[in-house]
Amino acid sequence: MQIAISRLILTSCALALASFAIAGDDPLVARQDLMKSVGKATKPVGQMLRGQADFDAAVVMESLKTYEDVSAEFGELFPVGSESGEETEAAPAIWEDRAGFEEALATWQKSISEALAAKPATLESAKPVLSNVLKSCKGCHDTYRIEND
Amino acid sequence: MRRIGIVVLSLLSIGLVAAWWLSRPLAILAEDLPDYAPDPVKGERVFWAGGCASCHATPVDGRRAAGQDKLQLGGGMQLDTPFGIFRVPNISSHETDGIGRWSMVEFVNAMQHGVSPSGEHYYPSFPYPSYARMDVEDVMDLRVYLETLPAVGRRSAGHSLSLPWSLRRGVGLWKRRYMDSDPVVPIDASNHELMRGREIVEGVGHCGECHSPRDRFGGPIMKRWLAGAASLEGQGRVPNITRAGSNVKEWTQEDIVYYLESGFTPDFDTVGGTMVAVQENMAMLPASDREAVAAYLKYIPAVE
Repeated sequence: MQIAISRLILTSCALALASFAIAGDDPLVARQDLMKSVGKATKPVGQMLRGQADFDAAVVMESLKTYEDVSAEFGELFPVGSESGEETEAAPAIWEDRAGFEEALATWQKSISEALAAKPATLESAKPVLSNVLKSCKGCHDTYRIEND
Repeated sequence: MRRIGIVVLSLLSIGLVAAWWLSRPLAILAEDLPDYAPDPVKGERVFWAGGCASCHATPVDGRRAAGQDKLQLGGGMQLDTPFGIFRVPNISSHETDGIGRWSMVEFVNAMQHGVSPSGEHYYPSFPYPSYARMDVEDVMDLRVYLETLPAVGRRSAGHSLSLPWSLRRGVGLWKRRYMDSDPVVPIDASNHELMRGREIVEGVGHCGECHSPRDRFGGPIMKRWLAGAASLEGQGRVPNITRAGSNVKEWTQEDIVYYLESGFTPDFDTVGGTMVAVQENMAMLPASDREAVAAYLKYIPAVE
């Protein structure tokens, strides 16, 4: 119980800090930090899918919640004027085809909601919904991210 | 003074005639083809290994074709490069807009010699310098597979290139200078996995077209084979995929196989950019092909 509470407090602090960073900082830095947190959340899930780690339903749900939080604010962090700098990998296509970008984000959000709703308890049930989420990563990175090595 | 003028003029015309002669399109004849019964089932594997759809599938609503639309090979994609804009043609089985009426030897000449049925050079934006390394039987298999795909009625406009690239005949000199159908990396023929990996990477998969750098004439710099390059389309850099490449040097052979199958790096970042389409094509191949590609990439010289 105590652990759960302290975890809750820690998470809230982290979230508060994150939103502070987003509010007061360069959107470019904010979106990069958010994507890094997505990367961190993906690694354990990917390892389970690849058979490198045992399935852990709690970790999966936690990662999905991270995705949910990030995907809710990510789209707003690409204002006009934030096209370059900080070695950004954001492709010009985000600004040239905003509708397509929003659509790709919506696909991501939908896959996350579906996976959260499914509350997968086993690797077998997790595989299809998680694959869907991860496929949507590629579906956006193919057009809207520049590859810099 | 007048004599000098005549000498200069004669030299100039000799030069022009020589250049014209050296730049002529060189094609093979039907009787040069092997006696081989092509197989469309094998051809489908060649199709995915070559990633034909990634350039030739007609975009849907301005975006890359997905799923079954990848088999609608009406062309229409644009490659915006430093040499100009290349517009990808229709290679569907359509009789007039596509290549439905081509003979087998016309197809082989296009794929491996970069020569069109009307006897003109193709620009190497169509990666025939890589396809020149393929076994001709594989090319013939591909031809009969393409015949099974839908006919798409649409035509692409021509390329918009700047001088001197707009002089199509000049491609003949480019070919003399840069085209080489010999394998890039020597491999012992008894090692079937490496041989298969080489077939895919150096030939049909045409990995070197993006992953090897080019000189200012657009010719590949072979001593930096697969060592990474500036992206020819838009921004960014195509990574070094030799063992020394900063992205991949920690990767195991198994990691490469997993990446080609799933699109995920060992850190579970995703594949991005034009490599997404390539990875999706690689995922259509038998596992042994992805293993062969990984074995080849781990085998070839490491270039810093």
